[in-house]
Amino acid sequence: MKKGLIVLIVVVAVIVLIAGAAISRYNQLVELEQNVEGRWAQVENQLQRRADLIPNLVETVKGYASHEQQVFSDVADARSRLLAARTPEDQMAANASLDSALGRLLAISEAYPELKADTSFIRLQDELAGTENRIATERMRFNEAVQAWNTTIKRFPMNIFAMVFGKEAKSFFEASPRAQEVPQVSF
Amino acid sequence: MEKSRKLVVLSVLLICFALLAGGAEAAFPQPQGFVNDFANVLDRRSSSELQVLAEQLRENQGIELAVVTVTSTAPMDPKEYTTALFNEWGIGGPEDSGLLMLLAVEERAIEVEPGYGLEGTLPDGLIGAVIDQEGMHHFKEGDYGAGLSAMAKAYASILAGEKYEIAKEKKEDNGWLIAFIIFILIVLLLRRNRFYGPRGTGGIGGGSGSGRPIIFTGPTFGGGSRPSVGRGGGFGGFGGGRSGGGGAGRRF
Repeated sequence: MKKGLIVLIVVVAVIVLIAGAAISRYNQLVELEQNVEGRWAQVENQLQRRADLIPNLVETVKGYASHEQQVFSDVADARSRLLAARTPEDQMAANASLDSALGRLLAISEAYPELKADTSFIRLQDELAGTENRIATERMRFNEAVQAWNTTIKRFPMNIFAMVFGKEAKSFFEASPRAQEVPQVSF
Repeated sequence: MEKSRKLVVLSVLLICFALLAGGAEAAFPQPQGFVNDFANVLDRRSSSELQVLAEQLRENQGIELAVVTVTSTAPMDPKEYTTALFNEWGIGGPEDSGLLMLLAVEERAIEVEPGYGLEGTLPDGLIGAVIDQEGMHHFKEGDYGAGLSAMAKAYASILAGEKYEIAKEKKEDNGWLIAFIIFILIVLLLRRNRFYGPRGTGGIGGGSGSGRPIIFTGPTFGGGSRPSVGRGGGFGGFGGGRSGGGGAGRRF
Protein backbone atom coordinates (compact mmCIF):
# COMPACT_ATOMS: atom_id res chain seq x y z
CA MET A 1 0.00 0.00 0.00
CA LYS A 2 2.76 2.39 1.03
CA LYS A 3 4.85 1.34 -1.94
CA GLY A 4 2.05 2.19 -4.33
CA LEU A 5 1.70 5.65 -2.84
CA ILE A 6 5.40 6.38 -3.31
CA VAL A 7 5.26 5.25 -6.92
CA LEU A 8 2.24 7.47 -7.48
CA ILE A 9 4.00 10.49 -5.96
CA VAL A 10 7.07 9.90 -8.07
CA VAL A 11 5.00 9.56 -11.24
CA VAL A 12 3.06 12.75 -10.45
CA ALA A 13 6.30 14.60 -9.68
CA VAL A 14 7.86 13.52 -12.97
CA ILE A 15 4.76 14.59 -14.88
CA VAL A 16 4.73 17.96 -13.13
CA LEU A 17 8.42 18.46 -13.90
CA ILE A 18 8.01 17.59 -17.58
CA ALA A 19 4.91 19.76 -17.88
CA GLY A 20 6.70 22.67 -16.20
CA ALA A 21 9.66 22.32 -18.52
CA ALA A 22 7.35 22.08 -21.51
CA ILE A 23 5.46 25.21 -20.51
CA SER A 24 8.57 27.30 -20.01
CA ARG A 25 10.08 26.03 -23.29
CA TYR A 26 6.86 26.78 -25.07
CA ASN A 27 6.76 30.31 -23.68
CA GLN A 28 10.33 30.85 -24.75
CA LEU A 29 9.43 29.72 -28.26
CA VAL A 30 6.45 32.06 -28.34
CA GLU A 31 8.60 34.95 -27.20
CA LEU A 32 11.24 34.34 -29.85
CA GLU A 33 8.66 33.93 -32.57
CA GLN A 34 6.94 37.15 -31.53
CA ASN A 35 10.30 38.87 -31.72
CA VAL A 36 10.82 37.68 -35.29
CA GLU A 37 7.34 38.82 -36.26
CA GLY A 38 7.77 42.20 -34.61
CA ARG A 39 11.04 42.71 -36.43
CA TRP A 40 9.44 41.79 -39.70
CA ALA A 41 6.69 44.34 -39.08
CA GLN A 42 9.40 46.98 -38.75
CA VAL A 43 10.92 45.91 -42.07
CA GLU A 44 7.45 46.09 -43.64
CA ASN A 45 6.98 49.62 -42.28
CA GLN A 46 10.10 50.77 -44.01
CA LEU A 47 9.26 48.99 -47.25
CA GLN A 48 5.88 50.71 -47.17
CA ARG A 49 7.54 54.01 -46.44
CA ARG A 50 9.73 53.64 -49.47
CA ALA A 51 6.78 52.67 -51.64
CA ASP A 52 5.05 55.87 -50.49
CA LEU A 53 7.99 58.01 -51.53
CA ILE A 54 8.21 56.63 -55.04
CA PRO A 55 5.26 58.41 -56.73
CA ASN A 56 6.65 61.81 -55.71
CA LEU A 57 10.09 60.88 -56.91
CA VAL A 58 8.77 59.67 -60.26
CA GLU A 59 6.75 62.88 -60.71
CA THR A 60 9.81 65.01 -60.04
CA VAL A 61 11.95 63.08 -62.49
CA LYS A 62 9.16 63.23 -65.11
CA GLY A 63 9.27 67.01 -64.90
CA TYR A 64 12.76 66.95 -66.40
CA ALA A 65 12.92 63.68 -68.30
CA SER A 66 9.39 62.98 -69.51
CA HIS A 67 10.42 60.66 -72.33
CA GLU A 68 12.02 57.97 -70.14
CA GLN A 69 8.73 56.06 -70.12
CA GLN A 70 10.23 52.58 -69.85
CA VAL A 71 11.88 53.27 -66.51
CA PHE A 72 8.77 54.95 -65.09
CA SER A 73 6.57 51.98 -65.92
CA ASP A 74 9.18 49.53 -64.56
CA VAL A 75 9.22 51.38 -61.27
CA ALA A 76 5.43 51.55 -61.13
CA ASP A 77 5.14 47.81 -61.85
CA ALA A 78 7.69 46.86 -59.21
CA ARG A 79 6.02 49.13 -56.69
CA SER A 80 2.57 47.68 -57.22
CA ARG A 81 4.01 44.16 -56.99
CA LEU A 82 5.55 45.06 -53.63
CA LEU A 83 2.27 46.48 -52.36
CA ALA A 84 0.37 43.40 -53.53
CA ALA A 85 2.80 40.91 -51.96
CA ARG A 86 1.47 39.27 -48.82
CA THR A 87 4.02 36.73 -47.57
CA PRO A 88 7.49 37.79 -46.44
CA GLU A 89 9.04 35.71 -49.26
CA ASP A 90 6.99 37.53 -51.92
CA GLN A 91 7.79 40.87 -50.35
CA MET A 92 11.50 40.10 -50.38
CA ALA A 93 11.38 39.16 -54.06
CA ALA A 94 9.31 42.21 -55.03
CA ASN A 95 11.65 44.42 -53.05
CA ALA A 96 14.64 43.14 -54.99
CA SER A 97 13.05 44.05 -58.33
CA LEU A 98 12.05 47.46 -56.98
CA ASP A 99 15.66 48.00 -55.96
CA SER A 100 16.91 47.52 -59.49
CA ALA A 101 14.15 49.63 -61.09
CA LEU A 102 14.88 52.45 -58.65
CA GLY A 103 18.57 52.20 -59.40
CA ARG A 104 17.81 52.82 -63.06
CA LEU A 105 15.49 55.72 -62.22
CA LEU A 106 18.16 57.43 -60.15
CA ALA A 107 20.77 56.78 -62.84
CA ILE A 108 18.67 58.92 -65.23
CA SER A 109 19.43 61.98 -63.14
CA GLU A 110 23.08 61.80 -64.20
CA ALA A 111 22.04 62.89 -67.69
CA TYR A 112 19.98 65.88 -66.51
CA PRO A 113 21.99 68.51 -64.65
CA GLU A 114 18.89 70.64 -63.91
CA LEU A 115 17.27 67.63 -62.24
CA LYS A 116 20.37 67.00 -60.17
CA ALA A 117 20.31 70.61 -58.94
CA ASP A 118 16.60 70.64 -58.12
CA THR A 119 16.26 70.82 -54.32
CA SER A 120 13.03 68.87 -54.19
CA PHE A 121 14.78 66.08 -56.06
CA ILE A 122 17.69 66.26 -53.62
CA ARG A 123 15.27 66.12 -50.70
CA LEU A 124 13.51 63.10 -52.16
CA GLN A 125 16.84 61.41 -52.73
CA ASP A 126 17.75 62.02 -49.10
CA GLU A 127 14.43 60.58 -47.98
CA LEU A 128 14.95 57.58 -50.21
CA ALA A 129 18.53 57.02 -49.07
CA GLY A 130 17.44 57.40 -45.43
CA THR A 131 14.67 54.87 -45.96
CA GLU A 132 17.06 52.45 -47.59
CA ASN A 133 19.39 52.75 -44.62
CA ARG A 134 16.42 52.13 -42.36
CA ILE A 135 15.50 49.04 -44.37
CA ALA A 136 19.10 47.85 -44.02
CA THR A 137 19.05 48.41 -40.26
CA GLU A 138 15.70 46.73 -39.72
CA ARG A 139 16.72 43.89 -42.01
CA MET A 140 19.82 43.33 -39.90
CA ARG A 141 17.74 43.29 -36.72
CA PHE A 142 15.22 40.96 -38.33
CA ASN A 143 17.98 38.59 -39.39
CA GLU A 144 19.38 38.60 -35.86
CA ALA A 145 15.95 37.64 -34.54
CA VAL A 146 15.68 34.88 -37.14
CA GLN A 147 19.15 33.67 -36.21
CA ALA A 148 18.16 33.47 -32.53
CA TRP A 149 15.00 31.60 -33.47
CA ASN A 150 16.70 29.14 -35.78
CA THR A 151 19.52 28.25 -33.41
CA THR A 152 17.09 27.82 -30.52
CA ILE A 153 14.75 25.42 -32.29
CA LYS A 154 17.60 23.34 -33.70
CA ARG A 155 19.24 22.71 -30.32
CA PHE A 156 18.49 19.75 -28.11
CA PRO A 157 16.09 19.45 -26.32
CA MET A 158 14.28 22.38 -27.87
CA ASN A 159 14.22 20.64 -31.25
CA ILE A 160 11.85 18.02 -29.79
CA PHE A 161 9.48 20.66 -28.45
CA ALA A 162 9.69 22.59 -31.71
CA MET A 163 8.80 19.45 -33.61
CA VAL A 164 5.87 18.70 -31.29
CA PHE A 165 4.51 22.23 -31.64
CA GLY A 166 5.16 22.26 -35.38
CA LYS A 167 7.68 25.14 -35.35
CA GLU A 168 10.02 25.44 -38.29
CA ALA A 169 13.15 27.37 -39.18
CA LYS A 170 12.53 30.78 -40.77
CA SER A 171 14.34 32.23 -43.76
CA PHE A 172 16.59 35.27 -43.64
CA PHE A 173 15.97 38.49 -45.54
CA GLU A 174 18.93 38.47 -47.90
CA ALA A 175 20.37 41.68 -49.30
CA SER A 176 19.14 42.47 -52.79
CA PRO A 177 21.09 41.01 -55.75
CA ARG A 178 22.35 44.49 -56.66
CA ALA A 179 24.03 44.83 -53.29
CA GLN A 180 25.58 41.39 -53.63
CA GLU A 181 27.28 42.28 -56.89
CA VAL A 182 30.15 43.82 -55.01
CA PRO A 183 33.32 42.52 -56.67
CA GLN A 184 34.99 39.81 -54.66
CA VAL A 185 38.63 40.11 -53.80
CA SER A 186 40.43 36.81 -54.29
CA PHE A 187 43.85 35.93 -53.03
CA MET B 1 56.40 22.21 -12.53
CA GLU B 2 52.72 22.27 -11.62
CA LYS B 3 52.95 25.88 -10.52
CA SER B 4 54.57 27.18 -13.71
CA ARG B 5 51.94 25.42 -15.77
CA LYS B 6 49.20 27.18 -13.85
CA LEU B 7 50.95 30.49 -14.36
CA VAL B 8 51.15 29.95 -18.11
CA VAL B 9 47.45 29.13 -18.31
CA LEU B 10 46.59 32.15 -16.20
CA SER B 11 48.68 34.55 -18.25
CA VAL B 12 47.25 33.22 -21.52
CA LEU B 13 43.76 33.80 -20.14
CA LEU B 14 44.68 37.30 -19.04
CA ILE B 15 46.10 38.14 -22.46
CA CYS B 16 42.92 36.87 -24.08
CA PHE B 17 40.82 39.09 -21.82
CA ALA B 18 43.03 42.08 -22.48
CA LEU B 19 42.75 41.54 -26.24
CA LEU B 20 38.98 41.19 -26.04
CA ALA B 21 38.59 44.30 -23.93
CA GLY B 22 41.00 46.26 -26.11
CA GLY B 23 39.16 45.23 -29.26
CA ALA B 24 35.81 46.30 -27.89
CA GLU B 25 37.12 49.68 -26.86
CA ALA B 26 38.80 50.34 -30.18
CA ALA B 27 35.52 49.74 -32.03
CA PHE B 28 33.51 52.32 -30.08
CA PRO B 29 35.02 54.98 -27.85
CA GLN B 30 33.29 55.97 -24.64
CA PRO B 31 31.22 59.17 -24.81
CA GLN B 32 32.95 62.08 -23.09
CA GLY B 33 30.05 64.49 -23.21
CA PHE B 34 27.75 65.90 -25.85
CA VAL B 35 30.74 66.99 -27.91
CA ASN B 36 33.26 64.26 -28.64
CA ASP B 37 36.14 65.58 -30.70
CA PHE B 38 38.05 62.33 -31.08
CA ALA B 39 39.73 63.51 -34.28
CA ASN B 40 40.79 66.74 -32.63
CA VAL B 41 39.57 69.01 -35.42
CA LEU B 42 37.20 71.39 -33.62
CA ASP B 43 38.22 74.90 -32.62
CA ARG B 44 37.50 76.05 -29.08
CA ARG B 45 34.76 78.46 -30.02
CA SER B 46 32.75 75.98 -32.09
CA SER B 47 33.01 73.23 -29.54
CA SER B 48 31.79 75.47 -26.74
CA GLU B 49 28.95 76.71 -28.95
CA LEU B 50 28.00 73.10 -29.64
CA GLN B 51 28.25 72.26 -25.96
CA VAL B 52 25.92 75.13 -25.02
CA LEU B 53 23.43 74.20 -27.74
CA ALA B 54 23.38 70.58 -26.59
CA GLU B 55 22.87 71.58 -22.97
CA GLN B 56 20.00 73.89 -23.91
CA LEU B 57 18.37 71.22 -26.04
CA ARG B 58 18.46 68.70 -23.21
CA GLU B 59 17.23 71.21 -20.65
CA ASN B 60 14.41 72.73 -22.69
CA GLN B 61 13.17 69.83 -24.76
CA GLY B 62 14.77 66.68 -23.41
CA ILE B 63 16.54 66.17 -26.71
CA GLU B 64 20.08 64.80 -26.64
CA LEU B 65 22.43 66.07 -29.30
CA ALA B 66 25.73 64.27 -29.73
CA VAL B 67 28.49 65.66 -31.91
CA VAL B 68 31.29 63.27 -32.79
CA THR B 69 34.39 63.63 -34.92
CA VAL B 70 36.52 60.59 -35.70
CA THR B 71 39.62 60.19 -37.83
CA SER B 72 38.18 57.16 -39.58
CA THR B 73 35.21 54.82 -39.33
CA ALA B 74 37.06 51.87 -40.89
CA PRO B 75 36.29 49.03 -41.27
CA MET B 76 32.66 50.17 -41.29
CA ASP B 77 31.33 52.72 -43.73
CA PRO B 78 30.40 56.05 -42.14
CA LYS B 79 26.64 55.38 -42.20
CA GLU B 80 26.91 51.94 -40.59
CA TYR B 81 29.24 53.37 -37.98
CA THR B 82 26.83 56.20 -37.21
CA THR B 83 23.87 53.87 -36.72
CA ALA B 84 25.91 51.46 -34.61
CA LEU B 85 27.39 54.23 -32.45
CA PHE B 86 23.98 55.83 -31.95
CA ASN B 87 22.54 52.61 -30.55
CA GLU B 88 25.71 51.69 -28.65
CA TRP B 89 25.68 55.00 -26.79
CA GLY B 90 21.90 55.16 -26.55
CA ILE B 91 21.55 58.80 -27.51
CA GLY B 92 18.21 60.33 -26.53
CA GLY B 93 15.86 59.74 -23.63
CA PRO B 94 13.07 57.17 -23.32
CA GLU B 95 11.26 58.82 -26.24
CA ASP B 96 14.28 58.09 -28.46
CA SER B 97 14.73 61.80 -28.97
CA GLY B 98 18.39 61.87 -29.89
CA LEU B 99 20.35 63.38 -32.74
CA LEU B 100 23.85 62.32 -33.73
CA MET B 101 26.11 64.38 -35.97
CA LEU B 102 29.20 62.45 -36.98
CA LEU B 103 32.11 63.71 -39.01
CA ALA B 104 34.73 61.30 -40.33
CA VAL B 105 37.89 63.09 -41.41
CA GLU B 106 39.54 60.43 -43.57
CA GLU B 107 36.30 59.46 -45.31
CA ARG B 108 35.48 63.16 -45.70
CA ALA B 109 31.97 62.28 -44.59
CA ILE B 110 29.27 63.97 -42.56
CA GLU B 111 26.40 61.82 -41.30
CA VAL B 112 23.40 63.03 -39.33
CA GLU B 113 21.05 60.51 -37.79
CA PRO B 114 17.85 61.15 -35.80
CA GLY B 115 16.48 58.81 -33.14
CA TYR B 116 13.10 57.16 -33.74
CA GLY B 117 11.41 59.96 -31.79
CA LEU B 118 12.72 62.79 -33.98
CA GLU B 119 11.99 61.27 -37.38
CA GLY B 120 8.77 63.27 -37.63
CA THR B 121 10.20 66.73 -36.90
CA LEU B 122 13.45 66.06 -38.73
CA PRO B 123 12.70 64.24 -41.97
CA ASP B 124 15.71 63.05 -43.94
CA GLY B 125 15.18 65.60 -46.71
CA LEU B 126 15.38 68.44 -44.23
CA ILE B 127 18.44 66.95 -42.55
CA GLY B 128 20.13 66.78 -45.96
CA ALA B 129 19.11 70.33 -46.87
CA VAL B 130 20.67 71.67 -43.67
CA ILE B 131 23.92 69.84 -44.46
CA ASP B 132 23.91 71.35 -47.98
CA GLN B 133 23.09 74.88 -46.92
CA GLU B 134 24.87 75.23 -43.58
CA GLY B 135 27.65 72.71 -43.46
CA MET B 136 29.06 71.88 -46.87
CA HIS B 137 30.80 75.14 -47.71
CA HIS B 138 32.57 75.10 -44.32
CA PHE B 139 33.56 71.45 -44.66
CA LYS B 140 34.99 72.00 -48.12
CA GLU B 141 37.21 74.69 -46.66
CA GLY B 142 38.20 72.37 -43.83
CA ASP B 143 36.48 74.44 -41.16
CA TYR B 144 34.75 71.50 -39.49
CA GLY B 145 33.87 73.34 -36.29
CA ALA B 146 32.04 76.18 -38.02
CA GLY B 147 30.14 73.74 -40.23
CA LEU B 148 29.01 71.52 -37.37
CA SER B 149 28.09 74.54 -35.27
CA ALA B 150 26.02 76.14 -38.05
CA MET B 151 24.25 72.85 -38.69
CA ALA B 152 23.52 72.30 -35.01
CA LYS B 153 21.99 75.77 -34.74
CA ALA B 154 19.73 75.05 -37.69
CA TYR B 155 18.62 71.71 -36.24
CA ALA B 156 17.99 73.32 -32.86
CA SER B 157 15.77 75.99 -34.43
CA ILE B 158 13.84 73.36 -36.40
CA LEU B 159 13.38 71.31 -33.24
CA ALA B 160 12.15 74.44 -31.48
CA GLY B 161 9.39 74.63 -34.08
CA GLU B 162 10.77 77.28 -36.41
CA LYS B 163 10.39 76.90 -40.12
CA TYR B 164 13.53 76.29 -42.10
CA GLU B 165 13.76 77.82 -45.56
CA ILE B 166 15.12 75.51 -48.20
CA ALA B 167 16.65 77.31 -51.15
CA LYS B 168 14.88 76.58 -54.44
CA GLU B 169 18.04 75.50 -56.15
CA LYS B 170 21.51 74.63 -55.06
CA LYS B 171 23.10 77.86 -53.98
CA GLU B 172 26.65 77.39 -55.15
CA ASP B 173 25.65 76.43 -58.70
CA ASN B 174 23.78 79.67 -59.26
CA GLY B 175 25.73 82.10 -57.16
CA TRP B 176 28.48 82.28 -59.75
CA LEU B 177 26.07 82.53 -62.62
CA ILE B 178 24.14 85.39 -61.01
CA ALA B 179 27.33 87.21 -60.10
CA PHE B 180 28.57 86.78 -63.66
CA ILE B 181 25.35 88.11 -65.18
CA ILE B 182 25.39 91.11 -62.86
CA PHE B 183 29.00 91.75 -63.76
CA ILE B 184 28.15 91.68 -67.48
CA LEU B 185 25.19 94.01 -66.90
CA ILE B 186 27.35 96.45 -65.00
CA VAL B 187 29.97 96.40 -67.73
CA LEU B 188 27.32 96.94 -70.40
CA LEU B 189 25.73 99.80 -68.48
CA LEU B 190 29.06 101.43 -67.80
CA ARG B 191 30.01 101.25 -71.43
CA ARG B 192 26.71 102.54 -72.70
CA ASN B 193 26.14 105.35 -70.24
CA ARG B 194 28.93 107.87 -70.40
CA PHE B 195 27.50 110.04 -67.63
CA TYR B 196 27.11 107.39 -65.03
CA GLY B 197 27.34 108.37 -61.40
CA PRO B 198 28.15 106.32 -58.33
CA ARG B 199 24.42 106.06 -57.54
CA GLY B 200 23.57 103.98 -60.57
CA THR B 201 26.04 101.25 -59.87
CA GLY B 202 25.11 101.28 -56.22
CA GLY B 203 21.54 100.51 -57.13
CA ILE B 204 22.49 97.46 -59.10
CA GLY B 205 24.75 96.14 -56.41
CA GLY B 206 21.99 96.44 -53.83
CA GLY B 207 19.61 94.48 -55.98
CA SER B 208 21.84 91.44 -56.12
CA GLY B 209 21.63 90.89 -52.38
CA SER B 210 17.90 90.30 -52.38
CA GLY B 211 18.21 87.25 -54.61
CA ARG B 212 19.53 85.12 -51.80
CA PRO B 213 16.96 83.48 -49.56
CA ILE B 214 16.95 84.18 -45.87
CA ILE B 215 18.23 80.97 -44.47
CA PHE B 216 18.37 80.95 -40.74
CA THR B 217 18.17 83.18 -37.75
CA GLY B 218 19.19 81.10 -34.82
CA PRO B 219 19.78 81.80 -31.16
CA THR B 220 22.82 83.89 -30.54
CA PHE B 221 25.00 83.47 -27.53
CA GLY B 222 25.86 86.26 -25.17
CA GLY B 223 29.56 86.94 -25.16
CA GLY B 224 29.76 87.42 -21.41
CA SER B 225 29.30 83.99 -19.95
CA ARG B 226 31.90 81.46 -20.86
CA PRO B 227 30.56 77.92 -20.93
CA SER B 228 32.57 75.16 -19.35
CA VAL B 229 33.51 72.55 -21.89
CA GLY B 230 32.33 69.21 -20.57
CA ARG B 231 35.07 68.66 -18.02
CA GLY B 232 33.56 69.72 -14.73
CA GLY B 233 31.40 67.18 -12.95
CA GLY B 234 31.81 64.44 -15.54
CA PHE B 235 29.38 63.19 -18.12
CA GLY B 236 26.44 61.17 -16.89
CA GLY B 237 25.93 59.34 -20.17
CA PHE B 238 23.07 59.33 -22.61
CA GLY B 239 19.50 58.29 -21.93
CA GLY B 240 19.28 55.01 -23.83
CA GLY B 241 17.59 56.21 -27.03
CA ARG B 242 17.53 54.14 -30.21
CA SER B 243 17.63 54.94 -33.91
CA GLY B 244 16.64 53.05 -37.00
CA GLY B 245 19.30 54.15 -39.46
CA GLY B 246 17.55 57.17 -40.99
CA GLY B 247 18.98 60.61 -41.62
CA ALA B 248 21.20 61.93 -44.35
CA GLY B 249 24.87 62.20 -45.15
CA ARG B 250 27.27 63.82 -47.59
CA ARG B 251 30.84 63.48 -48.79
CA PHE B 252 32.77 66.69 -49.01
